[in-house]
Amino acid sequence: MNIRSLAACLLLAFPPLAPAADSQWVLGQNSLTYHVSHPLHESEGVSHAARGKGVCHAGQCDFLIAVAVKSFDSGDSNRDLHMVQVTRGAEFPLVMVRTRLPESAAASVTVNADLEIQFAGQTVQYKQVPFKLETHGGETRITGTIPATLSDFKIDPPSLLTLPVKNEIPVRVDMTWRPQ
Amino acid sequence: MLTKFFRNLQSDSPGVLLACLFVALAPSLMAQTAGTGILAGRVTDASGGVVESAAVTATSVETGQTQSVTTGPDGTYKFDGLLPGNYRLKFEAAGFKTVEIPSVTVNTTGTAVLDEKLEVSEKISGDQTTGAPSPAQENLPNAPSSSVSPPSLSDLGLTPEQTQGNPREQALLDKRTHMLKIHQRMGLITTIPLVATVILGPGAGGKSEGTATRDLHVALGSLTGDLYGITAYYAIRAPRIPGTKKRGPIKFHEAMAWIHGPGMILTPILGAMAFSQKNNGEKVHGIAQAHGPVAIVTAGAFGAALLSVSVKF
Repeated sequence: MNIRSLAACLLLAFPPLAPAADSQWVLGQNSLTYHVSHPLHESEGVSHAARGKGVCHAGQCDFLIAVAVKSFDSGDSNRDLHMVQVTRGAEFPLVMVRTRLPESAAASVTVNADLEIQFAGQTVQYKQVPFKLETHGGETRITGTIPATLSDFKIDPPSLLTLPVKNEIPVRVDMTWRPQ
Repeated sequence: MLTKFFRNLQSDSPGVLLACLFVALAPSLMAQTAGTGILAGRVTDASGGVVESAAVTATSVETGQTQSVTTGPDGTYKFDGLLPGNYRLKFEAAGFKTVEIPSVTVNTTGTAVLDEKLEVSEKISGDQTTGAPSPAQENLPNAPSSSVSPPSLSDLGLTPEQTQGNPREQALLDKRTHMLKIHQRMGLITTIPLVATVILGPGAGGKSEGTATRDLHVALGSLTGDLYGITAYYAIRAPRIPGTKKRGPIKFHEAMAWIHGPGMILTPILGAMAFSQKNNGEKVHGIAQAHGPVAIVTAGAFGAALLSVSVKF
């Protein structure tokens, strides 16, 4: 028996021992809302199109959430196109959020999450962002606000009538996760 | 280093030391009385070893106020008496890359814990294209030792079309924004001679024998027409983005253009007729009499178009 045959036999006898995930979460209903302030306007853009998944192992859960920049609707197509342009949304079409939380957090009322956000070609970390958790019938609803700013992502503030918008663009998060 | 600093201060002048202590402690004491929070954590290197004497600077996003501390022998640091809010944090240590965290939320309900892992400055950053972990990924807290891979975009059911960028479309958007910015500014500039022309209108068409007001009205009207033409050009020539359905105030803005556009053509024609009649010593008559009302409607539609995209009703 040559070495290749021996290796094949071993592979058949002992299947790969890669660890399996203990549990998984999938994102259900969701609402992400950014708020923009201008001296003449207060406007918000909402997306319900985020997709997300959480993989838990050894007491830790890795979450990935992605949402298309173009999916945000402010009720004004002109403003939405401008938003996509200034955030380079055609070049970088997704907002991606990664976080890692202890599995036990699902049983908590609040959780402080460290978020890594990829948006507009930049990767920015937000530490200790507080979120509220509500669990009903196996589903967990997470709500909170990410204190994002334009300068974090190196976005030039868009202007209207030569007046720029404020740097702060807080993003309200309302997501319902269910076990898969 | 701090001990040396204080020893020098003590030997120089106890008064200066007291003043320094007062300046340093007063804001903290005042803040504590107003309801404050604590931010603390530990600074380690990539192997988990503690980093001593690392400088940690917290800057309030709201007020810009800055506070600094250094890590102790166990790598820990602590900010007491921070006002609730968002803080930018900077970690600096000799031989390590400086790390900036754009926002950490501090509240009065508990201690905000932020542990930070510093990379050696000579270390080569991870490259996402090679599959190596990025620095950002390494910095995530509580990194598990398991080899279960975290979820990826393919796990979310996203197609390559949804995840890949389109530089051509971005270029189109950039051009569109550039042209509409000029359109917006030219529209604002056009408003000035437009309003002046309308104000001078009654004087230009009055019974006065003098022609100065009439000539100024004509000159301002001509300038308005020219500027309006440039404004309209940048809106009409701005690229359209395929697949975009128009929603919101922009629909009203464009509907108004169907009024002020023809009005901007008709008004000078009627004006020229009225001007000719007046110069011949005649009373303005016939269709030329519509010059004033048409001009008012045109200016009104122009103003409504401007306001519709400027002010939320």
